Amino acid sequence: MTTRVEEISKKLQEDSEEAIGEVLDRIRLMEDLSAEEKLDLSKGLTSILYHHLHSNSSRMLKLAIRAEKRIAKFGPDVIPFLFEEITDVDGESAAYLGKAFCKIGKPGIDYLLQEWSRFSDNDPALINLLQTVSYYTVPEIQGAVPLLVAASGHANFQVQAMALHAMGRILERSNTNLIDRRLVTNLFDVCFHALAHAKPLVRKNAACSLGKMLRKGILLPDEEKRVRDAFMSITGRDEKHNWDRAFIVRKEAELYLSHFHPVAHDGHGYRQTFRIHTKKLLCPNTYHFIVEAPFIARKIQAGQFVIVRPHDTSERIPLSICGWDREKGTLHLIVSAVGKTSTEIIRMMEGDAFRDIVGPLGERSRLPEKKGTCVVIGGGYGTGAIIPTALDMKERGHKVYGIVGARTEEFLIMTDELKAACDEVILTTNDGSKGTKGLVTDALEAIMLKEDIVHVLAVGPVPMMKAVSEMTRPFKIETYVSLNAIMVDGTGMCGACRVSVGNETKFACFHGPDFDGHQVDFENLMKRQKMFVKEEQAAMATLTRLHNN
Amino acid sequence: MTTEERPKLSNKDRILMPHQEMPLRPAESRVLNFEEVPIGYSAEQAEKEAMRCLQCKKPHCIEACPVGINIPGFIKLIEQGKPEEAIKVIRQTNFLPAACGRVCPQDKQCQAVCVVGRKHHPVGIGNLERYAADYERLHRKMEMPEVLPPTGKKVAIIGSGPAGLTAAYELVTKGHEVIVFEAFHRAGGVMVYGIPRFRLPIQIVDEDIKFLEKLGVKFVYNMIIGKVMSLDDLLEKEGFDAVFVGTGAGLPRMLDIPGSNANGVYSANEYLTRIYLMEAKKFPTYTTPLYSGKKLAVIGAGNTAMDVMRTGKRLGADVTCYYRRSREEAPARSEELKHAEQEFINWRWLSNPVEFIVDENNFVKQIRCEKMELSEPDETGRRKPVSTGQYFVEDCDTVVMSLGCSVNPIIPSTDKMVRTNKWGVIMVDDATCQTSKKGVFAGGDAITGGSTVILAMGQAKKAAAAIDQYLKGQLTEEAKVPTDPNYSVQSWKPASRKAEKEGQSVDAR
Repeated sequence: MTTRVEEISKKLQEDSEEAIGEVLDRIRLMEDLSAEEKLDLSKGLTSILYHHLHSNSSRMLKLAIRAEKRIAKFGPDVIPFLFEEITDVDGESAAYLGKAFCKIGKPGIDYLLQEWSRFSDNDPALINLLQTVSYYTVPEIQGAVPLLVAASGHANFQVQAMALHAMGRILERSNTNLIDRRLVTNLFDVCFHALAHAKPLVRKNAACSLGKMLRKGILLPDEEKRVRDAFMSITGRDEKHNWDRAFIVRKEAELYLSHFHPVAHDGHGYRQTFRIHTKKLLCPNTYHFIVEAPFIARKIQAGQFVIVRPHDTSERIPLSICGWDREKGTLHLIVSAVGKTSTEIIRMMEGDAFRDIVGPLGERSRLPEKKGTCVVIGGGYGTGAIIPTALDMKERGHKVYGIVGARTEEFLIMTDELKAACDEVILTTNDGSKGTKGLVTDALEAIMLKEDIVHVLAVGPVPMMKAVSEMTRPFKIETYVSLNAIMVDGTGMCGACRVSVGNETKFACFHGPDFDGHQVDFENLMKRQKMFVKEEQAAMATLTRLHNN
Repeated sequence: MTTEERPKLSNKDRILMPHQEMPLRPAESRVLNFEEVPIGYSAEQAEKEAMRCLQCKKPHCIEACPVGINIPGFIKLIEQGKPEEAIKVIRQTNFLPAACGRVCPQDKQCQAVCVVGRKHHPVGIGNLERYAADYERLHRKMEMPEVLPPTGKKVAIIGSGPAGLTAAYELVTKGHEVIVFEAFHRAGGVMVYGIPRFRLPIQIVDEDIKFLEKLGVKFVYNMIIGKVMSLDDLLEKEGFDAVFVGTGAGLPRMLDIPGSNANGVYSANEYLTRIYLMEAKKFPTYTTPLYSGKKLAVIGAGNTAMDVMRTGKRLGADVTCYYRRSREEAPARSEELKHAEQEFINWRWLSNPVEFIVDENNFVKQIRCEKMELSEPDETGRRKPVSTGQYFVEDCDTVVMSLGCSVNPIIPSTDKMVRTNKWGVIMVDDATCQTSKKGVFAGGDAITGGSTVILAMGQAKKAAAAIDQYLKGQLTEEAKVPTDPNYSVQSWKPASRKAEKEGQSVDAR
């Protein structure tokens, strides 16, 4: 053991959270670790994981999650060690180790598949390995499916239950487009037969996995119907009154039935699946989605928005549109992860489906009456939202300038698309890493000095929209801003999105989202946007926990 | 027990029988959860209460019921111990009996004109209706009604609230193809987003919707007609022969006083929608947040205000009601008011809020009210509140304004052919519920600007009958839609002024 590792190991033995946090920071900064050092460090780090299990502190939980990440970063060198640990500890500890293991990626899978047969008689180890498999999100894990199917016929019912659980998890977390159809059928059959198992735990996990397949929307209509009928029978909602004796099974079925109450009425020809066609990373935490929504795509116009609910338990959040394809029936959305629901959205995969998309909502963006120079200004997600309006303006023969602002080059998004829509695009960054250094208002000023502007549209963070409005106010340039107020229903029913415009209360969802920037009370809007800050943090905390446990 | 075995009772005996009080869960425990408050009559209680009905030769109650249920008819069957027969009688005219038995303002309708009620407590018609409906539901005696052979006509229903569902039921049983368009992800309209679960359990609504689905009604969710498809699209491109607009009253009224845009100030719609439709009561499992503090101030004293108060109580808040008139003028159903009073709500009658005082982060922290007093009754008999110039300030950290709604503007604003009055209420022909656009009918809160479930159902029935005639080509007359922008449909009035007064005096007792 080298001295630096020995020193760290000693520190890890201390019982103080501060010491552990400090050590984790040091490990993060260490480079060129030898294989042996990595091994020694992982031994120390696993002790944090075990340690966490005995304490209830949330700080310790965070440390454990960090330790998990550090182990995963060590890469293939620690695979054999982790593998041995997983097969040798209790289920709860194995959960953490398993997560670290699956973060190492493909080499881990190969090792796991290769070593699997050694444990066919060791039931606790097998359960832990199955649990590890269930954490994988990469398509390569499909190689483990035959092992899962074999395990679902194991003599020990607990092994069977875990195998069924893993099946649902794997299907739930894989990219739907990459899943082999035969594999789904195979797993569906296994799970469906397990619904008749003698042990409640097995039935529960089977129901859970079937529910996940149902939610993911990968089952054929016929299979879907079988699942629904089975769940109706389990919960005692059909005519037979022969419900499942075990509460845990009924509860599971109930949960997924309630998820599926309203959808799936085919035959009226108005069904929209809201499936994600493509998902593309634009900048950290921000993705571009192309989503199927034929009826909305047929009618939507520049400036309008949609309300999205990714899962049954999610909030309804308004999202602006950065484009559409009327023929293909798709909408283009930009989503940045800021709260829990937007984080849920960016975690969705291609092929997954949104639970609901409602729209088009709001009014079309206003266009200037007389011809002249228009300026569209975007910041953050707003860069996408101004593109349709820019195209609209150009079509009507206006000269269109586009201004995009960001902190650094990394966060400048959708610039190529905007260049196609505008006559000229000016990029600004706060640090000058690309385009001109400065704010969007500086670029706007430069244009104002050159030309007479008839119309300005600004979409982005509230301070930016406010600054733009203040800039144009003395010159009486028509300025519109798109307000992203908090909304619930989006049809004017609830009044959550009240904004004060010219001393009058307006509803952003119905009267807007575009308003005259010179009349908007930005202070009030900013304060109203902070209404749920605490709740949002609480929600985010559950998300992190759900994701990691 | 058959009718023959029962002792023949004279009317006097019947009148003198004691009224059966609806058993309630004790206030102390019911404010802890969202379970239903009334437990429901037992069979014995129901039969005893049914005996109080005099079986009048000319029953006023039927006239006073917006959907004209044969009230003495079904009560007689309950008395004879045949609730499964009784529900059939109710179902002839009322498609949502379980919901109506719970949320109808019977004390302003059927029970207000009940002959027994002139001197004693009126017959508990609503409770008996509820008993029959629950009997059917719990014993799974739901029978499929007769559906006429397909006519090949297609009807679009916009909105799946009480009006929409009733119209759907009436039309699908006439053999038309019915598609219901709903903007939310769940059907039921106000019964899902507005009426609390402790007044109307969600399972009842879900079962009614499933029942409609079995009958062949198709539901389309996440569709905002007007935005995603216009009325013209429906009638011309999508091949619908008629449209029924039941979009309800969905544009909350807010007080325009300082601080009304502060954080923590909600409309009743938002508050209830967050809690019930979006399940904020299960936060953070369900993501929708609700900033609900420890001291909730509710402004208004209508049915919705009662719902908000009792909901707030169940979320653990200390609730205070501010209303500018006195208790006697409170528009809420007397039963709701009574239940709310039992549930430890603080009342500030004759208090008119004039300002919400906010802290530096724009969160509401206090409410400032003016003390009011009532004027002498004017020619309409209503006593108006007049200001006294005295003010008081109280602490609160959440405010919910429950001041009623205007009509949802999406349909009228996207189709100029649909004429509205100056308050945005869709104007219709009184006899047929036809709007100024051919083939478009409307009902419910969209044409009244906010009333009750049962009234919406009554109009939907009328509209459905007219749509049926229209589809058969029998409705040849031009619709007589008023043109006066000041015109408004009169809300439901009981049969006579006298009856109303008597109804109220009984409640006050």
